[in-house]
Parts: sequence; structure tokens; C-alpha cells
Amino acid sequence: MTSTSSRWAFGSARWLWLLACIAVIAILPLVFQDSYWRGVMTICAINIMLALGLDFIFGYAGQLSLGHSAFSGIGAYTSTVLVTALGVNFWVAMLCGIGAAGLAGVLLSAFAVRLKGHYLAIASLGFAVITYQILVNWISVTQGPLGIYGIPSPPPLTIPGIVTISFSDQQNFFYLVAGAALLSYLMLRNLTRSPIGDALTAVREDEISAASLGIRGTKWKVVAFGIGCAIAGLAGCFYASFIGTLVPDAFFIVESFMLLAMVVIGGRGNLWGAVLGAVLLTVVPELLRGIGDARLIIYGLALTLVALFLPGGISGVLIQFARRFSGARGALAAKGPSHA
Amino acid sequence: MLDLLPIFAQQLINGLVLGSIYVLATLGLTLIFGVLGQINFAHADFVTLGAFAAFFVARATGGNYLIAILAALLVGALLGSIINGTVFSPLRNADETRPLVATIGVSVLLENTALAFLGPVPYAFDSPYSSQVIRAAGLFFTVQNLLVVIIAVLAVGSLYAFMKLTFIGKALRALAQDREAAGLMGINQKQLIALTFIIGSAFAGLAGAMLGPILVLTPFAGASVIVKAFAIVIIGGFGNIEGTIVAGLLIGLIESFTAQFLSPGMSDIVVFGLLLLTLAFRPTGLIAERREENV
Amino acid sequence: MPETSLSGTAAIAGNAPVAPTLFSVRNISKSFGGIHAVRSVSFDIPKATVFAIIGPNGAGKSTLLNLLSGNYQPDTGTLLFDGADLAGKPAYERARLGIARTFQKIRLFKHLTVLENIIAGFHIHRKLPAWEYVWPARAAEMDRKRCREEALELLTFVGLVDRADTVAGSLAYGQQRMLEIARALATKPKLFMLDEPAAGLNNAEAGFLLERLDTLRKQQMTIVLVEHNMELVMNVADRIFVLETGQQLFVGTPDEVQSDPAVIAAYLGEELH
Repeated sequence: MTSTSSRWAFGSARWLWLLACIAVIAILPLVFQDSYWRGVMTICAINIMLALGLDFIFGYAGQLSLGHSAFSGIGAYTSTVLVTALGVNFWVAMLCGIGAAGLAGVLLSAFAVRLKGHYLAIASLGFAVITYQILVNWISVTQGPLGIYGIPSPPPLTIPGIVTISFSDQQNFFYLVAGAALLSYLMLRNLTRSPIGDALTAVREDEISAASLGIRGTKWKVVAFGIGCAIAGLAGCFYASFIGTLVPDAFFIVESFMLLAMVVIGGRGNLWGAVLGAVLLTVVPELLRGIGDARLIIYGLALTLVALFLPGGISGVLIQFARRFSGARGALAAKGPSHA
Repeated sequence: MLDLLPIFAQQLINGLVLGSIYVLATLGLTLIFGVLGQINFAHADFVTLGAFAAFFVARATGGNYLIAILAALLVGALLGSIINGTVFSPLRNADETRPLVATIGVSVLLENTALAFLGPVPYAFDSPYSSQVIRAAGLFFTVQNLLVVIIAVLAVGSLYAFMKLTFIGKALRALAQDREAAGLMGINQKQLIALTFIIGSAFAGLAGAMLGPILVLTPFAGASVIVKAFAIVIIGGFGNIEGTIVAGLLIGLIESFTAQFLSPGMSDIVVFGLLLLTLAFRPTGLIAERREENV
Repeated sequence: MPETSLSGTAAIAGNAPVAPTLFSVRNISKSFGGIHAVRSVSFDIPKATVFAIIGPNGAGKSTLLNLLSGNYQPDTGTLLFDGADLAGKPAYERARLGIARTFQKIRLFKHLTVLENIIAGFHIHRKLPAWEYVWPARAAEMDRKRCREEALELLTFVGLVDRADTVAGSLAYGQQRMLEIARALATKPKLFMLDEPAAGLNNAEAGFLLERLDTLRKQQMTIVLVEHNMELVMNVADRIFVLETGQQLFVGTPDEVQSDPAVIAAYLGEELH
């Protein structure tokens, strides 16, 4: 459930799993050749990054952030404005976007992490509203509700003498975003297994006894926020480039709730739950296209039911099943499936 | 300078009306937050549903506003009872973020279900008073506006009296201060908490009935108010009725004045900036670190 | 060992330490609202001794402990720990300086395993090169191994080594208490403070606790013990500080404490041995 990871040896299992993921990513655009589904997969990868960042903040550090989408918006607008208005190189602008989002996360949390649960949640909501309003009203920079058009794809990457990778090609763009998502996952997973992860877990579980062990709660919460929001900023940069148009409404409050739903329904505190939730809540509505706005009704219902009855989310249920099949309760072997 | 005076005065009126709206919408939230320390994220949707209940009942009874208001109260009370029974009561001892997350889900569910049934087009809710206009000393407001202020005052007054003078009210205050001690004194928590939700949500319904004719009535009417309502609860102080009144009116005034003299979009920024400032500087209760926990 | 004298400290009646002082407390007070929980309390805690704090219910013992650990900040007074002034230092900083504690109400990471609880305690002593937090390699592997080994040692010390992978919340109460002790010891403290560790333990468990504390003391650990269990206190303490309504009633050796009339009166005939 929410325990720290088991100590898999740095060995074959991990490499095998990594190879499998790369294989899946490589194959996907070949299986789905039409641009619509490739678009869905790209959005899915973006949502995975967002959900991972939020899981790191909420699932590991225990901070209920209700405005995660706003940080994506900060990343998106920062990089986009730099590219379109100031002609900055895309990759440099992307770094700035990541930095801006991460910095915003650090600022909000440095301020808000002293606050108890509900107050933190509302502070994050307030921050998201302010961000949204700034995006809408600072027309000279953001073009307001009309939005910014004609956002270019990333410029081609040239490995001299070998190949030039063009990202206006949908397949290559997908590889780029999916690769970033995979790297984000790897980075976060390694972090959570490191002493940093142990500190975050301690702070989440009981901040007072964590303090008695020398672990400073506020510091780690700020770290978690900074990293989680930086990843959100990265996702935002890709989003802007992918859609080609940027409007503030893409980062409205309800989007933050959808991200929360992904993390809660997928199961928080183990990273792969967030991936699962992101995939489910991105793909399933596309499969149910005919239902239209019933999509949000289903989200709302699913979020409510999971919060009420399945606190561990879907991943929690799967872990329970795996434990039961493995028999021995609490033995190290039974932890296997829960930590990919 | 003097010619600014009528504009100033008009904004003052607008601000007070807006503030009264916020106070009505927030009162129930404050009560629940104060007694239980929990936030019902769907509270604003109770306001919306109360407004729709009033709308349909008014239409069915040929324009009887009074019965419409009662219907809204009942709908609110019922919703409060349901949400307590399904979400807050079962999760009383669980991790404190779970009810909040659950009510976010409920809110999304309610809004979009209402959208599916009622459509996105605003409903024209005309109370008998919304078209009656009063002009006095160059100022302008409708009787409905006046009614909102009056009802807000009455609502606040009656809640105040209830909390200070009746036994149940005192029990609720005891519960708010120290749940464990209150339990030890034989106060039946479950029933009191249920009552709190019923009263608080009834107020939401009432607010809906009053606001229906004023706000744009769509399934998302409440949502436009909800985030400010949270801000008011916090700026006003932890479940503090007096604070809610002051904060509600203050925010109504701020919004009215910034909309007039700056721009409508800025008002949200100012209000939430104020919220964040409050969270930064208010000493008691809000900031866990300063309140030394007994270990 | 040469006696260390701390500047500005007046001799306190009955206080004649033979070991150097690890923790010097002077005139600390704490009020909550109008209630004076602790009033101008002073004492010295010598190194490698067991210093017990006893007193009737409501005397302010837990408050005093919280003041030492940093969970509360004193209104007045000074705290000198191993030469460092603790003024304004919050709990986590004091833990890093070497003050460990357990809590009256056991605070474990109930959803984590026994081993994971201990490893959390090692945190302040774990260091990796920056890049290995994101891409673990040899140093991370060695760190993990060492953590596990040392954790198992600690678990052996408290008799929980066969429960290493059990979820902490499912342990029996007495075992949870020992786990909390082991976890605190993982921080490699200079001072170990326990808040009523024997509460809720049966005789056998209390006896084991007594024996473990004695072993720690022999290993030169300085221990502060807040306790109600007089048998435990009289058997393990070197010095006893008696607190009543927030003020010092008496301080001395177990024998002295047991025969002091004021102490006896305060306990109104309770068995002191």
C-alpha cells in the first residue's frame, strides 16, 4: 500500500522491466497508425507525467495539492511565450518552463506546508485560481482567453552525420514525450527508494515522530512540491507544443480535479498507480466517445466511490490480490508485484 | 472627487449585496467547518440544487416564492443528511483528506449530472421581487437584493441565537472546541454532527433560493461561489460566525470595488491574495506548527 | 573523568555529579494560557547515567520532557546540551544534535514494516553522492546493506529480529514499544529520553525493558526516564528528580528519594519500593 519499497537488488529484474517498457513505447505508434489515436497516446503520456508529479506530492509527501494543473500552465506559458514572443530556442525555453513551474511549486509550498491538511488544500486551490486569473488577465503577455496560436513543434535534433529527428512527425513527437514520461518515472522511482523517499514517507506517516528522528518535515515537503511541480511544467511544455494552441482554460480548476482523480483512482503512494490512473482516465473516455459529457459524471462517481471504499485505489486492490496469491503475509517475496 | 461619490456609494451597495450573498452561501460551510473541522466540497452544489428546487417549485405553484424557499430549505437539509450519512459519518476516523476528496468527487458528479438533466442554458428565475427596482438618492437596487440582505441578516441572527442560547447550540460549540471532552460529557456526537450537516446544508439551500434570481442559474452557479466561500471561511477564522460575516461582507465589497475601479478579473486575484496573506499571518489554529501539539 | 563546570550555574542542593554534565537545564518555565505547567525547573543530567523524572499525575512530567526534546519551546530559561545552546531549536534539530525520544502514546509508522521503521531512524546518518539519489549504484547498494545489517542488530537488541518484515501496526503493544525504542536508538543519540515506556507493559516486558535500559547505561548511554512504575525507576535510576505541580520537589538518589518526607507526602502513602 503506502509502505516504502522493497529492496530489490540492482539487477536483472529491473533492467528487464525497463526493456519491456521501452519495447511497449516503441511498438505503440506502429500498432496505432492513425493520427487520432497517436494523439490520444501523446496526451496519455503527458497525463502520466502530471499524475506522477501529483502522486509524488500527494502520495509520498502527503500534501493534498488541489491546483496541480496550474503548474503545468506555468510551464506551458513560460516556454511558449519565450519561444513565440522572444524567439528563444525551444529546448532552452523548455528548461525555463520546468524551472518556472518548479520554482512556483517551491514558493507555494514554502508558504503552505506549515498549514494543516485542509488549509494547505485550500491554499493550493487559491493559488491555482490566482494563476488562472493571471493567465486570463495578463493579456499583454498571455493573450488572455483568446490564447496563443501557432506554437511550433520542437526543432529537429541532429546527430551529425547520422540522423536528423524531426518532431513535427507525430510518431517522433510521441517517442519524445513518452521517453520523457519514462525518464520521469524512473527518476521518481529511484528517488522514492533512496533515503529521500524514506524521509518523505516518514514525514507523511507521522511528522512529529519523523522530527524526533531528525527529519525536517517542511524541508521535504518543499522538495517534493518542487520536483512534482517541475515535472508538471515539463508536461505543460509538451502539451503546448502538441496542441499548437494555448488557452488558459486548459488549466482550469476542474483539470486539477481530474489529475487528482487519476492519482486517487489509480492508487497513490506507489507511482505505478498514478500511471494506471492516468492511462485509464485518458483512454477510457476516448473509448466511450459516444457518451460525451457523461465522462465527467463517470469521473465524479468513480472518484467518490474510490475515496469512500477503496482508499488504496485500483493499485491497492491489485496489491492485495497479489499478496493473497503469494500466501505468506508480510514475507519479502510477497512484495514483488507491488513494486515494479 | 465629489462626482465619484455616487459611484462609490453604488459600489458600496453592490458590495453589501454581494457580501450578503457570500455570507448566506458560506454560513452553512462555516458551521460545518467549525463543529467538525471538515469541508464539504459539494456545499456550493447544494446551493445550486437549492436554487433549482426553488425554481421548479415556484413554477409548479404558480410563482409562490415562499413555498419555493421552503422547498429549497428541505432539499438542502436532505442533501446534508445524505452526505453526512454516506461520506462524513463512515469516514469519521479515517485519514482527513479522504472526505475532502470524496466530496470533490460528489461535487463533480452533481454538477455534471445536473448538466445532463438541465442543460447548460441559464434558467430565468424570476422571483416576484427581482424586477422591482428601488431608486433612492441616485442609487439603484432591486427588492430581491434587499431581500437577500434582510434574509442574510435574519439567518445570521437566528444561527447566532441558536448557537449561544439553546442547549443544542452550546453542545455544538463544545463539540467544536474539544470533541473528546464533549464525548465524555455524554453529548451524542453522531446525532449532533448529523444535525450540523442538516442545518448547514439547509442554509445552503436557502442561499440557493435567494440567489437563483440574482445569479446566472446554471448547474455551475454554485461553483462560481464555492472557492470564494472557502476563502471566506478561512479569512473569517476557524468556523467563526462573526468572522464569516465580516469576511463575507469584506470580500463582497472588495470584489465590487476592484471590479469597478480595476477590472473584473482582478477581483479574484485580490481576494485570493488576501486569502494567502491570511494563511501566512493569522496566528491561531490555522498554522499547526505554532500550535504546540500535545505529544 | 574531570568535572566540567558550566558557566553561570549555581550549585543546586543535592546536585553533586561525579560525571561530566551532558544536559544542563536552568530555570525553564512553560505556561499554557494561565496554567503554569512547569515553573522554574533546574537540574543537571550527568553523562552515562539514568536520570528519572517522577511525580504525581499532572505534575508536568511530559511537558518537561517535551521542553527538553523541542516539541515545546520554553517561555524562559536556558537549555545547554553538550555545550550547545538549544534556545529556539525545534525538535528535528535537537534530534540531529543527539537527543532521541520515545512518546507516551506510541508513535510508530504503523503502515510500514518493522525494518522500515528502524531504517527511518538511520536517516540523519545516511549520505549518498547526489547523483545516486536518482540513479543508485554502488554507494547506494552499500548504504542499503549497511542499513539492513545495523537494523537487524538493533532488532536483536530489542528482541524483534524475527519480526523484521512484519507491519509495525500488527505487533503487540509491548513489541511496538520496543520497536519505538529501537527506532530512536537508530539515530545513534547521546541522550535517550523515554516518556512512560513501561505503561501498558506486563511484568515480563517491564523486566526486559529494565534490563535493556541497564545495558544501555553500561554502554555509556545517558538516559532520561519519565515513569510511573516505581519498581522500574528505583531499580534503574541513578538520580531521581521529583516534580510536583510543575516545580522541583526533590532530587537525589533512589534511597534519598524514598526516605524524603515531602516526597512521601506527595505520593500519599503510595508504595515507593
